[in-house]
Amino acid sequence: MKYNLELIKNKKKIIGFSTVLILFSILGILYSTFNTSYKKPINLGMDFVGGNELRIERVCEAECSNLSPDSVLENLREISKNKKFLNNIKLQFQNNNKLISIRTPYLSIEESNNLISNLDNIVGPLNYESKDSRLIGPKLGKRLLTNCVTSLLVSLFAISLYLTIRFDKKYALFALLALFHDLLIIFGIFSWLGIILSVEVNSLFAVSLLTIAGYSVNDTVVIFDRIRENLKSKKDGYNETIQLSVNESFRRTTFTSITTLIPLLSIILFGSYSLFWFSLSLSLGIIVGSYSSILLAPSLLLKE
Amino acid sequence: MKRKQGWLFFIIFLLTLSVYLLINYPLQLGLDLQGGSQLTLQIIKEEGKVTRDELEAVNSVIDKRVNNLGVSESNLQTLGGDQLILELPGEQSPLVASRVLGKTALLEFRTQKEGTFTDLKSLQLQRLSIKDLIDQYSFAEKNQNEDTFIKVIKDDLKDIEQQLNYSSTSNDLYGKLIEIKKYVDKEITNLFIKTDLSGKDLINAGRRQEQTNNNWEVLLTFSNSGGEKFAEITKSIAGTNQLLAIILDGESISEASVGNQFANTGITGGSATISGNFSAENARELEVQLKGGSLPLPIEIVETNTIGALLGSKNIYKSLYAAISGLIFVGIFMIFNYRILGFVSVISLVLYGFFNLAIYSLIPVTLTLPGISGLILSIGMAVDANILIFERIKEELYDGNTLTRSIDSGFQRANSSIVDGHITTLLSCFVLFLLGTNFVKGFAATLSIGVLISLFTSLNCSKTILRFFTTYQSLRQKNLYLPRNIFSN
Repeated sequence: MKYNLELIKNKKKIIGFSTVLILFSILGILYSTFNTSYKKPINLGMDFVGGNELRIERVCEAECSNLSPDSVLENLREISKNKKFLNNIKLQFQNNNKLISIRTPYLSIEESNNLISNLDNIVGPLNYESKDSRLIGPKLGKRLLTNCVTSLLVSLFAISLYLTIRFDKKYALFALLALFHDLLIIFGIFSWLGIILSVEVNSLFAVSLLTIAGYSVNDTVVIFDRIRENLKSKKDGYNETIQLSVNESFRRTTFTSITTLIPLLSIILFGSYSLFWFSLSLSLGIIVGSYSSILLAPSLLLKE
Repeated sequence: MKRKQGWLFFIIFLLTLSVYLLINYPLQLGLDLQGGSQLTLQIIKEEGKVTRDELEAVNSVIDKRVNNLGVSESNLQTLGGDQLILELPGEQSPLVASRVLGKTALLEFRTQKEGTFTDLKSLQLQRLSIKDLIDQYSFAEKNQNEDTFIKVIKDDLKDIEQQLNYSSTSNDLYGKLIEIKKYVDKEITNLFIKTDLSGKDLINAGRRQEQTNNNWEVLLTFSNSGGEKFAEITKSIAGTNQLLAIILDGESISEASVGNQFANTGITGGSATISGNFSAENARELEVQLKGGSLPLPIEIVETNTIGALLGSKNIYKSLYAAISGLIFVGIFMIFNYRILGFVSVISLVLYGFFNLAIYSLIPVTLTLPGISGLILSIGMAVDANILIFERIKEELYDGNTLTRSIDSGFQRANSSIVDGHITTLLSCFVLFLLGTNFVKGFAATLSIGVLISLFTSLNCSKTILRFFTTYQSLRQKNLYLPRNIFSN
């Protein structure tokens, strides 16, 4: 029943590990800002820069014939009236050539419909019932980005306020440090995902950061509460009491994380593709958040 | 004891109520689950903020147009002070809606300036040839024999540009053609002087097929004062070589002369027709726009999402799989670790699911994909409270307390940290709700409803069910509550 995490002994290792994680994230953010085609700290997706995203399935009898994206683009160029957007088009086949996914700069509905009917001529027939099309104007994208950044800042401010009211300064500061640590690492991981796998972040990513923030602080609050309670009642030394409190809340924190991870995992495995990266970033956030609540934040409280 | 049984009946009553609600008021599904299109319309204002009145005015015009279009079950709502969201469920094409809604539809009646007879004639000719070039271009594109054709079009375009003394700046040929056409339209409009008759003076619009050919014409019916103005205007130019232009959004769609016979009274009767080579579709679009009136501020369609019906139903199944498998695995985990207590939490989780859905149908909350993920995520958080309580109960049991006492103090001592722990999540949800887009709001709504309901189910329901269980002697053995522990050494 009793756990024995040697917090006091391993303080340096824990802080060292977190420092490495943070450096890794900062490196990703810097690399992404200076060394990629998009020159942003993170690969901003369509929600934020505008554009047109289309996914549609082909109707095939047995198996869908193999087509090279280049030849399809070649054909598209030949029969399209408006050639401007064709310079910046990305086309992919997925699911055994059945699913076509296309990304272009922003198109009007009319232009998008033309694109689909041209596509139908080349790789058709298409199943219009399977269509998933999103058109976002660049102006709206900018606005969404500002909205997301403001939401994040406002909620971080609200959480800081809550923490300073709830705890004294030292506790609040370390809880906040742990929170920024979590958010920075998730951001860094997605910077790297953008560099390596061209994963883009959309407004759901911002939502996941906000949710992680709430969740991670919640975990830290429970552990800090326990520490405070024990410091009042127990007669052991300060450092020992902190270590004891962490071990007492260890089960609760890991179990809660597991029960939250299980449903997220089922979304990753069974859910719609549009929720895949969202659930992944939430899962990572919960893992990093539990780590920082159990190990990092209490370690910071330890005295030399 | 009586009071405790009262809680049990109350919970059973709530469950029955939830099932009743769900049967009679089915859940509203978002477009990503049932298929359909969603358009976001942005009101454009150069200076200052869009006022409430302006938003209302735009909303009412758009609403009229949507109704006149005859789309079924559409839903229009305002968002964030300067945006409107239009939802078209099912397989209704957003294309027609976008064409009809996007235009300001500002209708003006103008009279020709004196002495511009020849200028207008040549501009009209150029307009005709540019339209012809655009048609030829579309034809050439379709028929692949581009090169020679395109060269002819390019040469013709150059001639027109020379005559107009204007050179286009667009990069591609199609863009140039459109640009020149716009320029010619503007020049034509400039040859006419504004009158005080406008789209505001209309009380109705209609359309009919012309008898001589397949073209359509649009009928205008003026109000009383509008009719008088129209008579006045037509009287002033009757018999002269000045024309009357009907201008829509800055583009003249019809120029007509008024015969000498109207010189005394003008054209009376309070109606007019526009016959400008309309196709059936175009005539209908104009009719809808004129009926709805012109927009007080221009709008732009900034976002369009379309989801096919098949994809929508696939999304429902996928979400169901995810939710149910999540629930089952969490249940297994809980029973494995907490035995009877775990079983209690599974029952309260099921209750939790029913209460959540019942609240959705009551408020109502439109269920979307992010909304479902909020619900699924909140399953994990709902269990959190149970884990906190059960850990406390176990501690008490290990300390040698009796079962009843352990249960009571477990619930009591965990109470504050549970309420407390949910606050940060609610804070985040609140911010999301204030600043988020529609899409994000779905997530925030289900997550915060879930967090609130979980306070009730994990505190009250779990406690009641547990108490009910412990009334059976056979379920009171301590070892049913203190299982072997997978993490212990």
